[in-house]
Amino acid sequence: MARKPAASKNSNADLGIEEALGRAYAHWNAGQADQAELFCQRVLAAWPGQADALHLLGVMAHAYGNLDLGLQHLRQACLAPRAPAIYFSNLAEMCRQKGLLAEGEQAGRRAVALAPDLVAAWNNLGIILQEAGKFDESLACLERVAALQPDYPEGHNNLGNTCKRLGRLDRAEAHYARALALNPNYAEAHSNLASLLNDRGRLDEAAAAARRAIDLNPRLADAYINLAAIDTARGKQAEALRRLDSLLAFAPAHPGGLAARAKALKHFDRLEEALDSARRAVAASPESAEAHDTLGQMLQALNRVDEALATFDRAAALPGTAAESARVNRAVLLMETGRKAEALEAFDAALGSHPRSAPGWFNRADLKTFAAGDPDIARMEALLGADGLQSFADRMSLHFALGKAYLDAGDADRAFRHLGEGNRMKRSTFAFDPESAARWMEDIARTFSPALLKRFKTAGCDSALPVFVVGIPRSGTTLIEQILASHPQIHGAGELPTLQALADGIGTYPTGAERLSKDDFARLGRSYLARVEPLAEGRRHVVDKMPANFLRLGLIRLMLPQARIVHCRRDPVDTCLSCYTKLFSAEQVFAYDLAELGRFHRQYQRLMDHWRRVLPADRFIEVDYEAVVEDLEGQARRLVDFLGLPWDDACIRFHENTRTIRTASVNQVRQPIYTISAGRWRKYASHLGPLLDALGIDAPR
Amino acid sequence: MTDIAVFEKRVRALMAQGRLEEAEAMVRPHLASGTGPILLWRLLAQTIRPQGRLAETRAIQEMLVEAVPGDLAARFDLAETALLMGDFERGWREYHWRYSLAHTARIERKVQRPRWDGRRIPGQTLLIHDEQGFGDTFQFLRMVPWAKERSGARAILEINAETLPIAKRMGGFDAIAARGTVPPPFDLHCEMMSLPMAMGLTMADLPGPVPYLSPDPARLAKWRKTLARLKRPLVALVWAGRPEHFNDANRSLSLADLGPLALPGITFLAVQKGPKAGEAKAPPMGMNLVSLSDTIRDFEDTAAILSVADLLISVDSSPVHLAGALGRPAWVLLPFVPDWRWLMERGDTPWYPSLRLFRQSARGDWAGVAARVAQALATLRDGP
Repeated sequence: MARKPAASKNSNADLGIEEALGRAYAHWNAGQADQAELFCQRVLAAWPGQADALHLLGVMAHAYGNLDLGLQHLRQACLAPRAPAIYFSNLAEMCRQKGLLAEGEQAGRRAVALAPDLVAAWNNLGIILQEAGKFDESLACLERVAALQPDYPEGHNNLGNTCKRLGRLDRAEAHYARALALNPNYAEAHSNLASLLNDRGRLDEAAAAARRAIDLNPRLADAYINLAAIDTARGKQAEALRRLDSLLAFAPAHPGGLAARAKALKHFDRLEEALDSARRAVAASPESAEAHDTLGQMLQALNRVDEALATFDRAAALPGTAAESARVNRAVLLMETGRKAEALEAFDAALGSHPRSAPGWFNRADLKTFAAGDPDIARMEALLGADGLQSFADRMSLHFALGKAYLDAGDADRAFRHLGEGNRMKRSTFAFDPESAARWMEDIARTFSPALLKRFKTAGCDSALPVFVVGIPRSGTTLIEQILASHPQIHGAGELPTLQALADGIGTYPTGAERLSKDDFARLGRSYLARVEPLAEGRRHVVDKMPANFLRLGLIRLMLPQARIVHCRRDPVDTCLSCYTKLFSAEQVFAYDLAELGRFHRQYQRLMDHWRRVLPADRFIEVDYEAVVEDLEGQARRLVDFLGLPWDDACIRFHENTRTIRTASVNQVRQPIYTISAGRWRKYASHLGPLLDALGIDAPR
Repeated sequence: MTDIAVFEKRVRALMAQGRLEEAEAMVRPHLASGTGPILLWRLLAQTIRPQGRLAETRAIQEMLVEAVPGDLAARFDLAETALLMGDFERGWREYHWRYSLAHTARIERKVQRPRWDGRRIPGQTLLIHDEQGFGDTFQFLRMVPWAKERSGARAILEINAETLPIAKRMGGFDAIAARGTVPPPFDLHCEMMSLPMAMGLTMADLPGPVPYLSPDPARLAKWRKTLARLKRPLVALVWAGRPEHFNDANRSLSLADLGPLALPGITFLAVQKGPKAGEAKAPPMGMNLVSLSDTIRDFEDTAAILSVADLLISVDSSPVHLAGALGRPAWVLLPFVPDWRWLMERGDTPWYPSLRLFRQSARGDWAGVAARVAQALATLRDGP
């Protein structure tokens, strides 16, 4: 039996209800919450379940931060047979905030059906569809908002977000600008603009916009996350982490903040903490694809491959915008574990559903060998064309991918054009002063003098467990580690940032080492062992192949005198060329300019000359990449012997090893060695002038 | 309890006893390197601010805001220091966070219209509503007509019932409503104490036209008659503020503390309200004190009395603002580090030309203040 509408009744009691509702809404409008609530309760006492009173109580509960109660009232209010569009529109927005996208979309559609001219309803539906990844529909809704109310800043802000998700960065920027022209103090629009400018590689402007957003609204979580992302793009990972901590100080369960913090911690190899942060993100927002995708990345970093794959699958199945990332990450993980066929299939699937995914194309390019005329090359070129990708990071990675593809296909001119552009873009994102780097490396040699090494000869921790494989990136460190790690008595731990963190902990490296005592070196040794011992699982050696540890060999000597050090050498030009063709995931600040590369290599050679003089031969060995290519078994036996282990044939079948590898060399070590790598640079000499000059090598005639 | 929590507790115990120098000395060594936990920096700022070392306090508070921008309590602390130092620009901006503190979040009015940002909005209606303290209301009422003029809007003033009749007489708005009643429809709103932020109030804008408040003529006539039999000079006295005020211990005293003021030839009028009004029954030796406390019904009575009396001598409480707004002479007794509105060091105030400030020259030294006020009072009585 339906209740009769109040307006059609004549009794005094009903007149009272109308009037009480009017007052309740007027009081709330003026911010007089107590009086508003009082009138609502009066109405509900006379008419239990009265929809307008419930709606207002729901709106008020929401305003005071009680989303669950707000939802409860709104759902009930919307059950009334004549519930107006605005109630459904408000319900839609509360559902969105609760992460209930499906229910929200339904309510939003009902709202626009009831009132096609209700701006708020189109707006709310538009952002739900945006969050659900239905960008085209979202765009249609939000364009309707802009048409109905062109001077509505929120409408332009939301339209900007949808355009950004669609890759239309120029349009997005125009909408943010319009929103900010209409309301210069609009914190969310500043924050969104910051993210967009970050995407476009305009990092200074981006940081300024994010700071402005935080200044306007110090509790705007997205602005912190965006600013941390900008810090990360600038290579300032420590600042990013601090920024996220200051967000979590007031919003400890913010899923986006927790996910971003997990990624920042991962950078510092604080993997267990990172995993914990990602798990808390998932717990805070179980339906968030982004949270699951982040969790997958942490599991991946911890080599928990099956869990990671399952988590990426889960992320890819959830609504939202992280599906692309999850699908690509899944393919990359398969690639890292050597499951090449599955990886290719996964990349194809990811690019099938997300044909404009730059990370997909970029990683896939690493996995395959391109022939001239490969249609993939044209597809990647198109993504750099007029209707192509607009994100800075996307374009940069495509330049590297195309550089790689053209080198494969034998088109050096095109290859170096793309590599030049990709490297130039990357180099523009950070500050690097070759002068001070040079001085620093001289300081290292000066600090770890023969006298210092002698004075603390008996310091440090007596363990022969660690083996350090060092060198310039791309000099064969991954290959050497893979050969060694194939031995049953050796665990390959990959590139551990542990030693760098310990070195940074002594104050200023290297000069801080002068102030350390015998006990300090022993303590450092113990700290390092605490990190690697659990990995050994009974094996005799753990290999840490962080190439940059060549900067810290003296410190290794003092904290772990029994540790062995393997220095990988390779033709300098080949090494630098190889660096130049790669977009590293870790910071390699010297690697994005040919002249800087050459100069850095010279300094590295000088530092290695120093180490060669001061390190004892039974703990320090050098291996030439070219020699390994020539005589794999001979060199492998030499290394195994150096480590004091019996020979094992597995070392020369290293490409059958399926353990996870996570460096820029991932796909080469899966192949038996081909000799094409040695002296590779000569055919590109005409493109390498600044490098050859810096290295002091004459170009071949 | 963690080590740092135990440490904090010990520092706070010293602070509670007013042993700020010792508290500071406990914290400082832990921050000697220039870095340390945020908690310790916050503690350090809290130990040095009441010692009057504002520049150093402010530097720490700025650093805390930079490090943890979302700590809104830290922002409010910075606001109070910036305003106390006379930096209105930063101060008003951060003062905006006064409703985001643990104990204030629930009392913020969530008005369902945008806040006015100082722009011209001709043809629209602006609701201005007062906030908590009566003193604040008297002090910032002057800005209501300014806001109406600046905005070009129709201005509605919503104000507490106690000060409504006085505000109504002031004018400079289009409608007035008592707090808690439904105001007429409006487009934008502004809290009275957000007007300085919205309008970019500077020191040079002060005081504006004074007096801006006036007594009710009927009450004035009544009190003229009542007080006519008393021998002038008539000096009204207030020795305590509202005890619920968070800083009351720092600003209030007892009537006995004002004993040195008991000069012959002066008639004191106790206009003290609240729990301390009873002290008037036992005035300090030699003080000719007439208690009006029981006959003061409302602020209209106070306004009329202040208009008849020759001077008000008062601690930092609402009658001071009423006197200042009425353009009546008042001497204000201030603690070493007072509320931000009195600034530091100066003996006058840009807010009210008729006020004279007597500040503690050392923390807790009310005796020195009383001695100086007594001297000034003697001069007033005897002529220069």
